[in-house]
Amino acid sequence: MSATKIYVFKRFERFWHWAQMLLVLTLLTTGFEVHGAYRLFGFERAAGYHTIAAWSLVGLWVFAIFWHFTTGEWKQYIPTLAKVDAMIKYYALGIFTDAPHPFRATRLKKHNPLQRLAYLGVLLFISPLIWVTGWFYILHDNWTAWGWDKYLSLETVAFFHTVAAFMMLIFLIAHVYLTTAGHTPTSHIKAMITGWEEVGDEETGAPAAK
Amino acid sequence: MRNSTTRRWQGVVAGLWLISAGAFAAAEIKEAKEAPPVRLDSTADHSKFKQLQGTFDSGPKVTKACLSCHTEAARQVHRTKHWTWEFLNPDNQQRLGKKNVLNNFCISISQNYPFCTSCHVGYGWKDKNFDFAAEENVDCLVCHDTTGNYKKLPGLAGHPAYKPVETPPGSGNMVKPPDLAKIAQKIGKTSRDTCGACHFFGGGGDGVKHGDMDSSLAAPDKDLDIHMDATGLDFTCATCHATSSHDVPGSRYKPTATDKHGAHIRGKMGQGNPATCQACHGNTPHKEKARLNTHAEKIACQTCHVPTFARGGVATKMSWDWSTAGQKGADGKHMTRKDDHNHVIYDTRKGDFVLGEKVKPEYRWFNGDISYTLLGDKVEKSDVPTGVNRIGGSPADGRSMIWPMKVMRGVQPFDPINKTLVMPHTAGNDDIGFWKNLEWEKAIADGMQNMGAPFSGKVDFIKTEMFWPITHMVAPKDKALACAECHSADSRLKGIDGIYMPSHSQKRWLDIAGWLAAAATLLGVLIHGALRIVMSRRK
Amino acid sequence: MKRSLMLIAAVLGSVAAGSAVAYDADWKRGRVYYRQICTSCHTAQMPKPIAPNDKVKADWAAYLQADKHAKGKETVKQYFGKPYRASIKATNQAAAKFAEVPDQDLLDDVKAFLQKGAKDGDAPASCS
Repeated sequence: MSATKIYVFKRFERFWHWAQMLLVLTLLTTGFEVHGAYRLFGFERAAGYHTIAAWSLVGLWVFAIFWHFTTGEWKQYIPTLAKVDAMIKYYALGIFTDAPHPFRATRLKKHNPLQRLAYLGVLLFISPLIWVTGWFYILHDNWTAWGWDKYLSLETVAFFHTVAAFMMLIFLIAHVYLTTAGHTPTSHIKAMITGWEEVGDEETGAPAAK
Repeated sequence: MRNSTTRRWQGVVAGLWLISAGAFAAAEIKEAKEAPPVRLDSTADHSKFKQLQGTFDSGPKVTKACLSCHTEAARQVHRTKHWTWEFLNPDNQQRLGKKNVLNNFCISISQNYPFCTSCHVGYGWKDKNFDFAAEENVDCLVCHDTTGNYKKLPGLAGHPAYKPVETPPGSGNMVKPPDLAKIAQKIGKTSRDTCGACHFFGGGGDGVKHGDMDSSLAAPDKDLDIHMDATGLDFTCATCHATSSHDVPGSRYKPTATDKHGAHIRGKMGQGNPATCQACHGNTPHKEKARLNTHAEKIACQTCHVPTFARGGVATKMSWDWSTAGQKGADGKHMTRKDDHNHVIYDTRKGDFVLGEKVKPEYRWFNGDISYTLLGDKVEKSDVPTGVNRIGGSPADGRSMIWPMKVMRGVQPFDPINKTLVMPHTAGNDDIGFWKNLEWEKAIADGMQNMGAPFSGKVDFIKTEMFWPITHMVAPKDKALACAECHSADSRLKGIDGIYMPSHSQKRWLDIAGWLAAAATLLGVLIHGALRIVMSRRK
Repeated sequence: MKRSLMLIAAVLGSVAAGSAVAYDADWKRGRVYYRQICTSCHTAQMPKPIAPNDKVKADWAAYLQADKHAKGKETVKQYFGKPYRASIKATNQAAAKFAEVPDQDLLDDVKAFLQKGAKDGDAPASCS
């Protein structure tokens, strides 16, 4: 039984993913401390780390966006409703009965349809919310000088930033769990580390998505 | 022969003289390069003035000597609050000043003049008929003494002792009269000691009233006050309270709560109060952490930079309950009770005190408006304290900052029929003063009559509070408040409205909803995962 | 002859007066030095700190005259010396600020503060 492996995640993509993971974890940890959920670093350091991590993430995204557009990888996030039902059915039922995974990753389509939708949701909703409110937060020092203080209140900005942070946390929990829901429990994780994903036996494996 | 011998000797001496004169001349040239010693703190050495030689048997006589050169000085002083003890608040037309206001310490000066006026910059204010026009009644020495030996004793109406005086009476402690001529000859600029002689002791004792001013500021170290640090910047009071024409700026009757003028620049007009922090530091003083400048748009500098008051080892009174005055000891005599720190917490004449050291201030929005409850203003007895003064301020008025305050709480006598505060005659060795006779009715009747104010003859007690903005005892920057002092559940700014403080002001329902949703997700994936394991085992 | 001698005496006298203007002790500097050198060390190392008003003027004068510190094991004067100030100036702000003040001036300053703050002085001073 020899597993087929394909090279799904390129070196930059893997670096981007893991660096982003570290930064997002830092942001969540320090962010919820700044929010007052617990005491870990102390407010001052937590707020300092949070700001540093936020700027780092901005830097990382600049590279990532550039990379996505120059390589055309941005197309990975174009949503498709095809087979979304199959994915839901798989996670809801098939996964327990060892049914074949309805999606077979390829170089051109590395995310399953549900993943695409979820990531697009993150990209189009959670991220903008967290970024915009985060920028307002970072630029708070200039609100008065720029006259923004007439239209913005820190309370509203903080509210939506917190809402987005909770959504990010929920995404993170689901995402981490679903990494175990690949062809084998570790195949997704291995793929993100090595770049090579096991996509199942030639004979029994699910057909590659079109 | 005798003549010739003399001549010879004269010749020798003359020779020696020439030689030594030459040597001295050389020395003179060398010394001329190094200027002879000169006083640099003043252009005048007052010990050289003939007007100040000899002895002086009274303060006014010293003043007359001063005025013979400083011809305008007394009339300059006459124009100031330090002299008139009166201040007309231009905003609300309230007539303030020590002459008119009440407080919840010793209450008022009415009929207590000879005691209270030991802190008047004058001589002889012993009753309300004091001559405010007399130039020789101005006390120059109390502000300009440099020897530290000039003292005006309570009961002498602003005069120093002219003969040995037992202070306090019955203590056996004899205070020597100061040597007025010596003091006058050593006259100089004002200092923390001279201003402090009164301002450190407001409310009847060291540190009692203000909390941020007490005798520890005479020669403070860096931690107590970064500016007045005697081994550092060594600011005097007048460094900030930059005075001209004897009129000292920076009064608490009309404080500057928000100063948007920025740092003062020479020659620029209309720069406002020179005693504010911003008058030197400007409005964006934080160079490394710009975020703190944003804080400074709403938060007074003092809020973070004066972390606690009464930090110098001198306690301040935090509350004073006059209603319990009058209890005598087992021997039927006046008594005092002290706490573990040797602070008096009960005095038969005065009632109960609560004292505090290293006190965390209370914080309030403050726009600089202060209105007083004056004699004749109606008051209602209730559980809510009556403001002896009330401060204005709100997050929305555009001119308020969050300020640290000492809130002095008290229970003091009032007239329950006329519903007014009252001014009792307390001090004095007579048969009326409360401190000797312990009879409120008589003492209040006398104090009120002196003011021409009605008094029903009934006495009750009313809860009061009084606000004292905190501004001195500025800590070094590394001892300023840390973020978490406010950005935490147990925030110093708890209850202050109009601000959002991360880590303190979060919405509870959002947190509950957020954490529940996260927990539900976690539970969901755990169940999902468990099912997968169970199902795969079953196979 | 007499005139000449008088002249010499007058010249010598005026020179002597010119070069030895009496030092006008600064009690405030003395107060700072006393508190930060004497009081702070005594407070840190002894159960009961010393205070100017512990002694009368004559006792303080005699104490400084005798110049015996720590029961005669050392002098009081050494604590006013430049070498001592230099040795502690990294941690003591008074020593740092007054590092270059002549020893005798500093001693006179503290003497003036003690005379003033003594039990029978013009302004008795406690330890604080």
